Amino acid sequence: MNSTLWLWLPVAAISTSAYAATYFTTEQAQQAIFPGKMMTAAFVALSDAQAKQIEKTTGVNVRTREVKAWKVEGGGVFVLDEVVGKHEFITYAVGINEDGRVAGVEIVDYRESYGYEVRNAEWRAQFIGKSSGDPLQLTQDVRNVSGATLSCKHVTGGVKRVLATYAVALK
Amino acid sequence: MTHIRRGALLAALGALTLASFGRVQAEESQFGYVYTTDLLPKGAKELEQWATWRHQKIGGYFDQIDARTEFEYGLADNLQTAIYANYAWSRAYHNGPFGATTPPEPFSYDIPGPDDHYHATRFVGVSGEIIYRVLSPYTDALGVAFYEEPTVGPGFYELETKLILQKNFLDDRLIFAFNYTYAPELRYVSDTAGGSKSWQEETDTNAYFAGSFRFRANWSAGFEFLNEREYNSYNFSHATNSGFFLGPSFHYGGKKFFVTATFLEQLPWAGTHADTVPGAISGGRDYDNDFEKYRVRIKVGSYL
Repeated sequence: MNSTLWLWLPVAAISTSAYAATYFTTEQAQQAIFPGKMMTAAFVALSDAQAKQIEKTTGVNVRTREVKAWKVEGGGVFVLDEVVGKHEFITYAVGINEDGRVAGVEIVDYRESYGYEVRNAEWRAQFIGKSSGDPLQLTQDVRNVSGATLSCKHVTGGVKRVLATYAVALK
Repeated sequence: MTHIRRGALLAALGALTLASFGRVQAEESQFGYVYTTDLLPKGAKELEQWATWRHQKIGGYFDQIDARTEFEYGLADNLQTAIYANYAWSRAYHNGPFGATTPPEPFSYDIPGPDDHYHATRFVGVSGEIIYRVLSPYTDALGVAFYEEPTVGPGFYELETKLILQKNFLDDRLIFAFNYTYAPELRYVSDTAGGSKSWQEETDTNAYFAGSFRFRANWSAGFEFLNEREYNSYNFSHATNSGFFLGPSFHYGGKKFFVTATFLEQLPWAGTHADTVPGAISGGRDYDNDFEKYRVRIKVGSYL
């Protein structure tokens, strides 16, 4: 079998690097969306009924019942959440104003080797002003970034779920 | 053998060169055999090395390793191209019908004696590949793609056409994929030792189905089910072989590389067809040409 060792020779030549990064701590993400505001932790555990209601209204799976939320000084909520990426989870944050509209979205931790275009400010700006009454459907009212479709789809679904969670459990 | 080693060294040098530029973007093979509609983004590059170990025929001993070194490139977000080199090694003894030493299909140019201990290495050919995705499983109800792969080698031509379907569930962590392949071949061979050679027609048609679930970050596990058929014609007449394979598939997809491994066993569902070689079926399994009892395929890929 020694004569077959050469079959794997090209693998030995492979050299790689990765495109993965932590962009914000939680505090930095809070200040990016709500500059100068004080935050108070207000974590919530969704009940079965609340989780079902969120899934029914959004069509998005509630993967975990624990909601990492912070009340914002003067009104509004900051939510730290995760969605499924190609290989690992994408950690992102959604700020919601007192009127239930999105104040901002930040990508906190992106561990994937591609699809990082979801961090582009222009793409994330599409969410500002959206509420739970909006469709929040990729290619419908949220533009897709070709080549980052899976990440765009899941972050869009995540924002939709967070808005529904706000309406059901965080108001 | 010397020119094969030289080819492998050149491939390795090519990998080093390619690895020195480009940002990291990638799309990996989720399965060993079944293709999905996931493609490289525009401008992304990937290097893959495949090895397929085929083991055991009717009796005696039989081993074959098919290897492929592949470079993939995203021409557009829904159009991917690739080029690769195919090469193989085999050993066989008393493995074929009626206990005769019988080389596998890539080595059908050789006609050893029935009691010879056969072993050989061969450069099979160079292939090009292009995949066009029509629908995405992430934005459409079903992912649909078309695949075209011409192969040219010494005394060998093949054109492989494939339909690829993909459907995802559970936040895209549960993936099902189906492939149907039509692959006519032309091979310049002789039926007898020392006999005159002629171009012989053959067609492979394959129906593959696979499912996989990402059970934790980076890791997926599932199954692959294959039905492979062969005909001594281009129009589905003169059927020769049909084999069914089933087995588990495992996949690790990381930031820097991926590894996929599939283990298959032929199921005892083979039957006799119009042009089946006498003695090729044993215990309900087909052992002619590209058919054997066990297969293991490992793919390693790196993002360039």
